[in-house]
Amino acid sequence: MPDHTLAPLDETITIDQLTTAPYPIYKRLRAEAPVTRVKSVGRTFLTRYADCKYVKDTPALFSSNDPNTPMKKAFQAHTLMRKDGPEHMAERMAMASSLMPKTIQDVWQPLYRQLAGDYLDRLPKGEIVDLHKDLSAPIAARILAHILGIPEATDEEMIFWSQALIDGAGNFGWQPEPFVISDHANLEMNALLEDAVKRVRAEPDPSALSVMVNAENPIPMSQIIANIKIAIGGGINEPRDALSTIVYGLLTEPEQLEELKRSQKWGPAFEEGVRWVAPIQASSRLVLEDVEIGGFHIPRGDTVMTIQASANHDEDVFDHPEKFDVFRAKNPHLSFGSGPHHCAGTHVARRTVGAVMLEMLFDRFPDITLPDPEIVQWRGFGFRGPINLPVKLG
Amino acid sequence: MKITFIAADGTTTEVEAKEGDSVMHTAVQNDVDGIIGECGGSMMCATCHCYVDEAWAAAVGGQEDGESDLLDCAASEVKPTSRLSCQIRLRRELDGLVIHLPESQL
Ligand code: FES
Repeated sequence: MPDHTLAPLDETITIDQLTTAPYPIYKRLRAEAPVTRVKSVGRTFLTRYADCKYVKDTPALFSSNDPNTPMKKAFQAHTLMRKDGPEHMAERMAMASSLMPKTIQDVWQPLYRQLAGDYLDRLPKGEIVDLHKDLSAPIAARILAHILGIPEATDEEMIFWSQALIDGAGNFGWQPEPFVISDHANLEMNALLEDAVKRVRAEPDPSALSVMVNAENPIPMSQIIANIKIAIGGGINEPRDALSTIVYGLLTEPEQLEELKRSQKWGPAFEEGVRWVAPIQASSRLVLEDVEIGGFHIPRGDTVMTIQASANHDEDVFDHPEKFDVFRAKNPHLSFGSGPHHCAGTHVARRTVGAVMLEMLFDRFPDITLPDPEIVQWRGFGFRGPINLPVKLG
Repeated sequence: MKITFIAADGTTTEVEAKEGDSVMHTAVQNDVDGIIGECGGSMMCATCHCYVDEAWAAAVGGQEDGESDLLDCAASEVKPTSRLSCQIRLRRELDGLVIHLPESQL
């Protein structure tokens, strides 16, 4: 007989708790109730590595397609993030070449190196600066503007649009205010993109916009614009939070930092930072058929949430998961997801933040310190990272 | 059936494999270092790059549609025998297959 027991229902966990201190909650859930319906979020939480991986790798049962989220209203489009199969593939592949290692190595990495140099030059040696606000955010915005083909957008514009899109997409309470702001951001982006499209038509370049506009069989213009917006919404906060998280981790583990300065092998520090506090902590999938996960019946139509933050701390996969440890033997984290929606920005992030920024930052400021780790605040349920990082530059 | 993985440093690992599985899946299941398979076989990540042993190249066959585009993204040198291991399905004829692993996948 198939077991039709539903997953336990939790009515105590609040969104506020998940936003301020999610890790103890996930630890308890992994041990006691790895498949749990969380009432405040209205989703079935999957907190174990194996279950998260299974869901992401089985798109035939767990669909990304959900046209009725606030995302559609925020982006004024049904975007590839919320599509499956050939449609998703076609839209993703349309801009893939601009995000792939060849172009990154030849074009974006040298440019990033130069931009990073400029932004580091602006930082005052010997003083305390908020590295999160003064470096992590603007450099993420600047390189993204170039990669997308809209270098005329300012850092402030990029950051504002990105936040407006994210806040709108996460507006599950359907409050009017966030949509007013995202509508405004859409107006500004549309205006800028109209000119940018003309420019790349006349002068093609390796940017995502140019590659899509000038393709032999281009996808519809509406989807080109939607793709650019998805990349704006999803391409600033993640590398920003990753950088701040890694720097925090290294400054609070000085022995590891010393070893990296000696070996100059920064790649593992990047991987460990995104494992330790995944910039994207959770994602949703719509259940297309009745299934069983962890011994519980999950009915068709339910929405499950893979909590990659928790998967990355699963004791079955990672030793001392709560510790930032660059030198762990294996690090198969799920921070970039898995399956067809595996993060399209992965290669860029690895080859900019990972391969360039860490080396340059610690070369420029070898005696950088974090005077008071306690004042660093961490926030976020869906997306997470520090919101400040006051360091002394030396 | 069996597959042998030979790492860039020469370390050899022989594992028991299942017909129908991909080479990537077999490696990951058996904890073989050197294949990551981050996207779970969706041809999105290029972290499952491998070199098919010359003697097996014909039996395994060439790259599938779309594979070469993604192989351009691989971290290590791409050779004529390069394949994405997630795209190699194990058939009975591939019993004894020898796969060489690249220097790095990231
Ligand atoms: S596992 Fe990602 S491309 Fe093969």
